[in-house]
Amino acid sequence: MLRPEALGENVRHDPLGKSRVWVELRQRVAENAGWTRICPLSAANREAKEVIYYIRGFMNSTPLIPVTVLIGYLGAGKTTLLNRILSENHGRKYAVIVNEFGEIGIDNELIVDADEEVFEMNNGCICCTVRGDLIRIIEGLMKRKGAFDAIIIETTGLADPAPVAQTFFVDDDVRARASLDAIVTVVDARHILARLEDSHEAEEQIAFADVILLNKTDLVDAQELERVRQRIRAINGPARLHETQNCVVPLEEVLERGAFDLDRILEIEPNFLSEDDHEHDDAITSVSLSSDAPIRPELFMPWLRNLTAAQGQDILRLKGVLAFPGEEQRYVVQGVHMLLEGDHQRDWRADEVRASRMVFIGRNLDPTALRQGFEACAVSAA
Amino acid sequence: MAELLERGGLVHRHGRHVKLDGEPTAILWLGTLAAAALGDGSVHWLNDEGGSLAHSVHAGAILTTCRHPDGMSVLTGGDDGRVCRVASDGEMTEIGRFERKWVEHLVASPASGLIVAGVAREAVAWSKCASEPTHRYAVSSTIGGLALDAKGKRLGIAHYNGATLVYGTNPDSGRVALNWVGSHIACTMSPDGRYLVTGLQETGLHGWQLPELRDMRMSGYATKTRSFSWDRKAKWLATAGDAQAILWPFEGKLGPIGKAPLLLAKREGTIVTRVAFHPRDDILAIGYSDGTVILARPADENTVLIDEGGAFITALAWNDAGTRLGWGDEDGRIGILDMEARV
Repeated sequence: MLRPEALGENVRHDPLGKSRVWVELRQRVAENAGWTRICPLSAANREAKEVIYYIRGFMNSTPLIPVTVLIGYLGAGKTTLLNRILSENHGRKYAVIVNEFGEIGIDNELIVDADEEVFEMNNGCICCTVRGDLIRIIEGLMKRKGAFDAIIIETTGLADPAPVAQTFFVDDDVRARASLDAIVTVVDARHILARLEDSHEAEEQIAFADVILLNKTDLVDAQELERVRQRIRAINGPARLHETQNCVVPLEEVLERGAFDLDRILEIEPNFLSEDDHEHDDAITSVSLSSDAPIRPELFMPWLRNLTAAQGQDILRLKGVLAFPGEEQRYVVQGVHMLLEGDHQRDWRADEVRASRMVFIGRNLDPTALRQGFEACAVSAA
Repeated sequence: MAELLERGGLVHRHGRHVKLDGEPTAILWLGTLAAAALGDGSVHWLNDEGGSLAHSVHAGAILTTCRHPDGMSVLTGGDDGRVCRVASDGEMTEIGRFERKWVEHLVASPASGLIVAGVAREAVAWSKCASEPTHRYAVSSTIGGLALDAKGKRLGIAHYNGATLVYGTNPDSGRVALNWVGSHIACTMSPDGRYLVTGLQETGLHGWQLPELRDMRMSGYATKTRSFSWDRKAKWLATAGDAQAILWPFEGKLGPIGKAPLLLAKREGTIVTRVAFHPRDDILAIGYSDGTVILARPADENTVLIDEGGAFITALAWNDAGTRLGWGDEDGRIGILDMEARV
């Protein structure tokens, strides 16, 4: 296994030439509850990956530092929101990773400049494109134990949100110490419709969001606001939407949401987007699925893995809360492109309906095929 | 051995523990005086008599340290963008300041007097005795690691998609581009300057044999490799990043190419986080993620338990004479082993 090789040519490894092994670590690290990555790992790395989860994440019980990712175009109101977070007296200390320090008027040693260095891992798999600077900065910040309670990452309006999110799935050292809490997208009500016309990024930023702040609502009339609202909902139905002026929103609606805002998907009516009247062919939509019958993990896991392996490019985000037969705990799953994580989250409460829900946000989603696939994983009534 | 195990290792008989408030990011030795650099920005000096002296140096964490070429002081780089020289008597001099940047790497050579800091996308150099930076080498992305050869002249700079090789003492010399896709996050150079080896974000090592630029690939590591150590004859390169220390043979014309590594002191369920070869003997000190520290002899694979029961080992170093071993874990526990006491 460990063997240096003399290589004549400096060539990129062909990702498809590599044997891909889908690994589910859950079964192996059963006693150490925590996120399970279900990702194409090379066989050589498989054993290894287990070990690191073991040691840093679970064996030491240090709680993971929650990370909020703040997305939005210049002028949408991100800086206003950041300044509020930094100046309000909430008793929490935030380390803030910004891309332009100058924009923030507050001097604070916990504000760090990022370089937005997007790194492709050399296996060439797009799901392993990460933000190298974030890995470095988060590791560096962690050396200052107790200096802060949570991390906020600001990204530019031109950035693709996927590498930021994927960093929290892919890098083991980051995963062992920090967890993605929520992606918050700030949208300028005045300009968003024009932005959606001329850029992919604007659409993806809305698609990736767990929480959307529709800001500057005072600068548009009621009719325009309704159009914006509908457009956002068409792209990302599941996100929590707050309409704001000057980003005035209770900070607890934005920060340290916990569990990636997963509970939200239980409140959503399924099939809210059954109408197939897409504006463009490549428009991003969301599909919500529901099953009252318990889901069989031995069918569900392979289905989801195959689905993301085949359509991971198009699936931007997915989330699910699942009831497995005879299990007292909710199983939650989330994903970005081809990366999946799943975990037993907590016991079902006595007053909770044990329904299973999945939400997919992406391009070229086929609601019918998704629904059929999901329903086929349910325990049949007979 | 059983007795030692019960008592938690040799440190209890021939050494001591010191509890500090921050996470040690490095331990350095000046003779028998240890300097521990912490995540809270302070440097703690620990002497044989059990005395300790603390100096607050950086506003944030100390991210990197190395010994000053003068052998009388240490250099620290912090996330406040400063590079400082700190002497054991508390004298502190700022030799560089980089606003809004992190100083993440420092190397220095007593042979050439050169000091080099990795600051974002620049390797910033101080020529012998300079009190401020004298020259810089820009690379295409943020620096992942720096390494000097034994003469302190050849400088390897690891970064995204490879490494760059320059003469650190001569800013006008040519540079050699060593290309290999991926993010290179650490590096080391053999003392004779014949090999540059980097650790990769996606785990494993990449190496270049110089001057032929022959590529080598070492894979199979469980996690990223961030700690390297050459033995006194530069025959072995010990590396961290797996459940065991992995030692690559660098003897002969082809070095490790086509040879199997020596796998030393495997401990299931843990990761080797730091390795340090004894400077005068064929003994390797190994620190693990569960706080265990051992000494291992590559020749017969015998091991001696030094410490256990701590947390993730973040620092490990011998003094030059090989009479003291120091280590630190992420909870701030420092261990010091007195090798002279064993005799």
